[in-house]
Amino acid sequence: MKKYYRIAGLCVAMDSFGKTEKQAKDYLITENDPPTPDIQIVSNRQKLMSECPYLGEDSCEYLSTGNSFYRQLIDHNGLLIHSSAVVMDGKAYLFSAPCGTGKSTHTALWQEVFGRERARILNDDKPAVRLENGEFFAYGTPWSGKTDLNINMRVPLAGICMLRRGTENKIKPFGGAMALHAILEQTARSKDADFTVKLLDLLEKLFISVPVWQLECNMEPEAALVSYNAMSKGFENNK
Amino acid sequence: MKLKNGFILRDIGGECVAVPTGSDIDLNGMITLNETAKTLWLCLEKGAELSDLVKALTDEYEVDEETARKAAVSFTEKLKGHGFLE
Repeated sequence: MKKYYRIAGLCVAMDSFGKTEKQAKDYLITENDPPTPDIQIVSNRQKLMSECPYLGEDSCEYLSTGNSFYRQLIDHNGLLIHSSAVVMDGKAYLFSAPCGTGKSTHTALWQEVFGRERARILNDDKPAVRLENGEFFAYGTPWSGKTDLNINMRVPLAGICMLRRGTENKIKPFGGAMALHAILEQTARSKDADFTVKLLDLLEKLFISVPVWQLECNMEPEAALVSYNAMSKGFENNK
Repeated sequence: MKLKNGFILRDIGGECVAVPTGSDIDLNGMITLNETAKTLWLCLEKGAELSDLVKALTDEYEVDEETARKAAVSFTEKLKGHGFLE
């Protein structure tokens, strides 16, 4: 059955099941007359299942509906940033890196250091980022990777940090072509020229208004202090 | 010589990058262009001979013809090697 959800501030129509439907429960629109959908989710799970049969139908549905959502998000000034997003003191901080680097490990350190009440996981794998009235916001979405951690809320985006494993904890501002390249690797791309133009337009604005960092870190609690100290101040300086 | 269609050129944070689109270009990442590379790139987008590239460089930068020619040849060879030229 087709249901209506409010995801990243948009009305999303989706007919799903299993994990996808369960994860999306917090996002259901309960009014009797849902607004006209901004996004219609199209699931290509059959195609994905034939390519990756080992994933199973439930996971293919989850991945495919997520792809459909993030691909259409660009038409609403939004993009996926493959990252673990933590909310603290009303601001969102995104930690992005290739799989297996330790994004979730790092945000879990924030929770260990600052407490689970103060540092909350907005989305552990695929937060949505949207530009609304000149300001960037991060959103939890039902698509949050393996850990299922997500909260249905919108938070001003205070910083994006590209993570690298190291022996010491060091953070520095990250910009220009290298930073763009790093983010392009961690978002949904398309060979389509129209999509890419919209994506680059949005990233250009993102780089102007949201500080981007590069963190080299280990898995000690000190890593969380190093990133928090720089990133929370960075946001104030940028204002 | 002419660049294949499908590159999107952008200045981001003071650096110039070319991001490929379409199925003609076999590249997943992007290309970072320095100032001279950008000058040559803009000529090659429209289509240019080696002499046009040399002229563009000598017009814009304080460089002798010999050096400009070397730079233009080396750049276009690189582009050819990656299959970015038509």
